[in-house]
Amino acid sequence: MDVSQYLEIFIDETNGHLQNLSDCIMTLEKEPENMDTINEIFRAAHSLKGMAGTMGFKRMQRLTHDMENVFQEVRSGNMNVTSGLVDVLFQCLDAIEAYLDNVKESSDEGTDDNEAIIQELNEILAAGTGNAVPEKKEKAPVKQQGDEKYPNKYQDIEFSEKEKEELKEAENKGMNIYGITVFIQEECLLKAARAFLVFKAVEDFGNIIVYNPSSQDIEDEKFGVDFSFYLVSEEGLDKILEVSKAVSEIEEVVGEKVKYSELTAAAEKKEAAQAAKAAEEKAVPAIAAQVKQAPAAAKKANGGKPVTNRTVRVDIEKLDALMNQVSELIIAKNSLVSIGSNSDGGTSGASSQAFHEQIEYLERITTGLHESVMKVRMVPIESVVQKFPRMIRDLSKKLDKKMELFMTGEDTELDRTVVDQIGDPLQHLLRNSADHGLESTETRRKRGKPEVGSIHLNAFQEGNNVIIEVSDDGNGIDTETVKEKAIERGLITPEQAESLSQKEIIDFLFMPSFSMAKKISDISGRGVGLDVVKSNIEALGGDVEVKSILGEGSKFIVRLPLTLAIIQALMVEVRGEKYAISLGSIETIEEISPDEIKFVQAKEVIHIRGIVIPLIRLDQLLDCEPEDTERESLTVIIVRKGDKVAGLIVDELNGQQEIVIKSLGKYINNSSKIISGATVLGDGEVALILDVNTLF
Amino acid sequence: MANNVVAAENTKKQFIVVKIGSEQYGIDISYVDNIVRMQKITRVPKVQPYFKGIINLRGEIVPVMSIRTKMDLEPDEFTDVTRIIILKLEEHGVLGIVVDEVKEVVTLAPDEIDKVAYDAKNSKSNFINGVGKHGEELISLFDTNSIIDEPELV
Repeated sequence: MDVSQYLEIFIDETNGHLQNLSDCIMTLEKEPENMDTINEIFRAAHSLKGMAGTMGFKRMQRLTHDMENVFQEVRSGNMNVTSGLVDVLFQCLDAIEAYLDNVKESSDEGTDDNEAIIQELNEILAAGTGNAVPEKKEKAPVKQQGDEKYPNKYQDIEFSEKEKEELKEAENKGMNIYGITVFIQEECLLKAARAFLVFKAVEDFGNIIVYNPSSQDIEDEKFGVDFSFYLVSEEGLDKILEVSKAVSEIEEVVGEKVKYSELTAAAEKKEAAQAAKAAEEKAVPAIAAQVKQAPAAAKKANGGKPVTNRTVRVDIEKLDALMNQVSELIIAKNSLVSIGSNSDGGTSGASSQAFHEQIEYLERITTGLHESVMKVRMVPIESVVQKFPRMIRDLSKKLDKKMELFMTGEDTELDRTVVDQIGDPLQHLLRNSADHGLESTETRRKRGKPEVGSIHLNAFQEGNNVIIEVSDDGNGIDTETVKEKAIERGLITPEQAESLSQKEIIDFLFMPSFSMAKKISDISGRGVGLDVVKSNIEALGGDVEVKSILGEGSKFIVRLPLTLAIIQALMVEVRGEKYAISLGSIETIEEISPDEIKFVQAKEVIHIRGIVIPLIRLDQLLDCEPEDTERESLTVIIVRKGDKVAGLIVDELNGQQEIVIKSLGKYINNSSKIISGATVLGDGEVALILDVNTLF
Repeated sequence: MANNVVAAENTKKQFIVVKIGSEQYGIDISYVDNIVRMQKITRVPKVQPYFKGIINLRGEIVPVMSIRTKMDLEPDEFTDVTRIIILKLEEHGVLGIVVDEVKEVVTLAPDEIDKVAYDAKNSKSNFINGVGKHGEELISLFDTNSIIDEPELV
């Protein structure tokens, strides 16, 4: 079967189901009696099985099938959820994920049968339900083996009341009911025509009651390479299969005589699942129910698959193109604004006013458009962080430490490109907290801390940045040990070590191959850690900071830019050169006289409203020609990064503007990173964008 | 014989002849995206010294390099005939180089081009991969890739 075109959808959906399963099993571990969760797991496992089967991934199908069996028993109350079962279930998920990884790489599920896990599942099943089940288990794999390539898809068909009536009537009349699935050769061009020929051939013998996909869809060729139907006929099954296969370009026809009672039993099972869902939906307020109606109907149509939000998949490149066009539009608008402000006096009053009104209107539209496009690119970090509770659970078992993860702000949104790449660094920080941060349960008890260590992951927005904090209530960073280690490695001399600040010492942790772990574990400690975290985050235009109190815990603060494309900026001038500073990092703007500048450790500072703020002269920083005379008053822009502030001395302020960030290109070696990009102003001039985060 | 002639026709290359100082240089026309008049170059602090800065080319930011500085010649003097040649290189994007004057476009056959041996001592020759003979005049042909390459020294 050629299913390659569905591969992407398969991978996406499987990921979704896996995540869903993982979440549910976590819930189940805490509330083993939760029927809703058990039903949800059953449904997810079932969908996984169905999809794997359709795609021809037999091993995956078998594993999910066995999982489904277990849940079948749990659901009907024959078995209880034990921690052993949860462990095995997580192993199953890992195995399925491994299959999925193989599929992603090679479009093939790989060759690992995961016999051990299946064996375990079956043992649990046997132990939980007595002897009746193993027999059933024997049967299931055998049956599957026969149909591996050509699954009996007609079993998935759902019936309406009318169709059921017809089937029942036919059976009462002594006719046979056959479920038949036809597979057309994948290279067949006129699938609908072949299907029509098959229908024509079999209708000589009886009536087709149900089609899947619907007869309309079959006519329109809206189906893969197979279709199923139920036929009532007086003729024998062999005869019918024979005539169907006689149609050219038909690869295989599988069919079976079925009884009405079996059909309805299967259908009832499905209905029960849906009824549970329906009951849930009834519970929500009326308005929500109305909204949900549409997805619920859709759910029925595609056979019980969970329907996600109404979304459209868009290639990120198309979005980038759209974004670029919006950028161009904003530049064009800015030019109009600058023309408008230049031609103030000259033109006649009325037309000039109309011009300004239209410009303002245009400004509103472009700002709105920009926001919408940005929003399209924004996704909640949920998709990344939702796998962490499971990870912490596993780590807890592996390290034999009790710990719990608390997450807040999962709905914080970030640019898609950032979200895609933030997973690994965060995972690393969490592992770091779990392994190095938290003490062993015993030590915790001795120190009078709660036995269960807590790790917090908090995400929130701050200005133009998103902050993600990973903190633990563990031991904190022992700066003395770090210092010793640094001396031992020859990074610093003992004399130098004396004068280092707390922060400088902690910074050693971010150096390549500087591991503090006393022994190497497979969780962390190989020294490829925090330096990678740091460089990954910096590559995204963010930074990472650490706060730590020995004995009380440590906190890693990751700061990421909200967007990568357009920002609100303050335009400033330094010696006639124009620079843009992101509005998000600006605190206040002050006018000071040179007398107010004081010196602390030979560095210029000012003292404003009780805070001592270090000063940075931008002209010196940016290698401008020095000015002959000191000015009478200085303009200072107070910028903030976290809880640190600094004052930038500029020559002139040119107002606030929406600017489009453009890269300086690959040729320019911008190693100091002070300039984060450039932008084109309304009059065509180029201004550089200062990244004030690098100044701290 | 006839075949040889056709083959030679096909391998003829066109070069844009520019003047830098007293010498004439040729730039393979297939790399040239555009030639623009001198315009305001925005200085970018803290970058390689041979980068004059960046310009705005129809909304695109294009870095501009001083080929004189890179070849250790005396600094550029901007005149009415100074031009910026915009080179387009597939994987690196666009790059502008400042030249004193753009003269003409010439077509050179392979037998009109002499290869130049690499000479590590002569920093200037590192950017040249051949000398074209056009009538009486000699044209040094730029090796476009080595212009954009980062010198590993310093």
